[in-house]
Amino acid sequence: MTYDWNFSIVLKYLPKILEGGAHTLVLAGASIAIAAPVGILLGIVRQRRIPFFATLAVIYIDFFRTSVALALICWCYYALPVLIGVNLSTFTAVTIAISLQSSAYMAELTRAGLQSISVGQWEAARALGMPGRVRMRYIILPQAARRMIPLFFLLMIEIVKTTTLAGVVTYPEIVYEAYRVATEIYRPIETFTIVGLVCFVFLFSSGRIALYLERRFAVVER
Amino acid sequence: MVYKWDFNFLLQLGPLLLKGLENTAKLWLVALVCGLAIGMVMGVFRTAPSRLLRAIGTLYVETIRNTPGLVQLIWIFYALPILTGMQSSAWVAASVSLSLYTGAYSAEIYRAGIASVELGQWEAARALGFGYLNQMRYVVLPQALMRMIPAFGNRAIELAKATTLASTIAFADLLYTAKMIAEDQLRPLETYTAVTLIFTAVLLPVSYAVVLLERRLGQKGSVHRD
Repeated sequence: MTYDWNFSIVLKYLPKILEGGAHTLVLAGASIAIAAPVGILLGIVRQRRIPFFATLAVIYIDFFRTSVALALICWCYYALPVLIGVNLSTFTAVTIAISLQSSAYMAELTRAGLQSISVGQWEAARALGMPGRVRMRYIILPQAARRMIPLFFLLMIEIVKTTTLAGVVTYPEIVYEAYRVATEIYRPIETFTIVGLVCFVFLFSSGRIALYLERRFAVVER
Repeated sequence: MVYKWDFNFLLQLGPLLLKGLENTAKLWLVALVCGLAIGMVMGVFRTAPSRLLRAIGTLYVETIRNTPGLVQLIWIFYALPILTGMQSSAWVAASVSLSLYTGAYSAEIYRAGIASVELGQWEAARALGFGYLNQMRYVVLPQALMRMIPAFGNRAIELAKATTLASTIAFADLLYTAKMIAEDQLRPLETYTAVTLIFTAVLLPVSYAVVLLERRLGQKGSVHRD
């Protein structure tokens, strides 16, 4: 028996799936907006070995970079409200979960970027009489940021992929919407083939755009 | 009102959680072994002289890397019965999907590892009369493998995290078991906290070991970074 593929019926539901995709992107945007500054701050604190805070940063980073995104999402949605006594929307819960983990990745990325700047740069800045914060702000960070760009794009793409997990706690992102469409029309394979294609087109083209931007702006040492 | 923590029920249900952890470990092992094998073939394809083989490798790697793991898993779960005619089980679907997933990422590690071996090694092997496959098998791969070990360690950690995806198609892994317990006992806080801690407790030492290994290999010679 051969399977009778039918994509036309799924295409009718394409707007719904794309709407889910838009929700996915909103979620990813919110997570990046929180994770990037928090991560950069943590990375600096860790790399500069600021007493006490550096230890806290290490614990935070190591805990969240080895924890599992899906488990964190479940924790933030089912467990966190019990702990703080406030009901969280799925959006808030998932944003918190993904930000926690991504900020840890971002911190590691920042640290690697800062470490790649040679000591001579610090010394030169000090020789010019710059105080610590000015050295970081005007000499070290701009150089490190350009080296971090390729990995930052990679992280952003990973975050977009991670947000597809949000459907597990009923946030209406692309996979969740696809499930609803699939059960409505009894066409799971066609639906998820379309979803896969949508994801591929989006992620592949963002990857290419990232590559182009890297070539333009980033310093890639080999 | 302050929440009263109570982990006692979890201790009693410990065997259930252990069973879940065992299933997670099984899935991890199968997907890791199969994934590294697939990755080796595809990685060699990606560096092969034949344009066709390179295209196959690239198509595979780009497809897997540019779609979310969850979508792959669900797709395979539904597609497997139609493509192979056998009844789909969460275990088979999860193993196949995670193997393919790991295969694509490790193919990139193999490719980079193979590319990091100097051209002179290939030429020397050819001068000794080795054919392409034998150059790869006896001269290039053994040298490349050493450099790839830390990257494989990181892959193994990422795979352990990815196994939790299988809980969404009702494979009884650690996370799925925890979900059942949390619903049954109405204690999500303790259950999910425990699961999160278990994962970190297992993965953090492994991650430190990988870093150490990377440093030691790095002292000996060049190491490919993931």
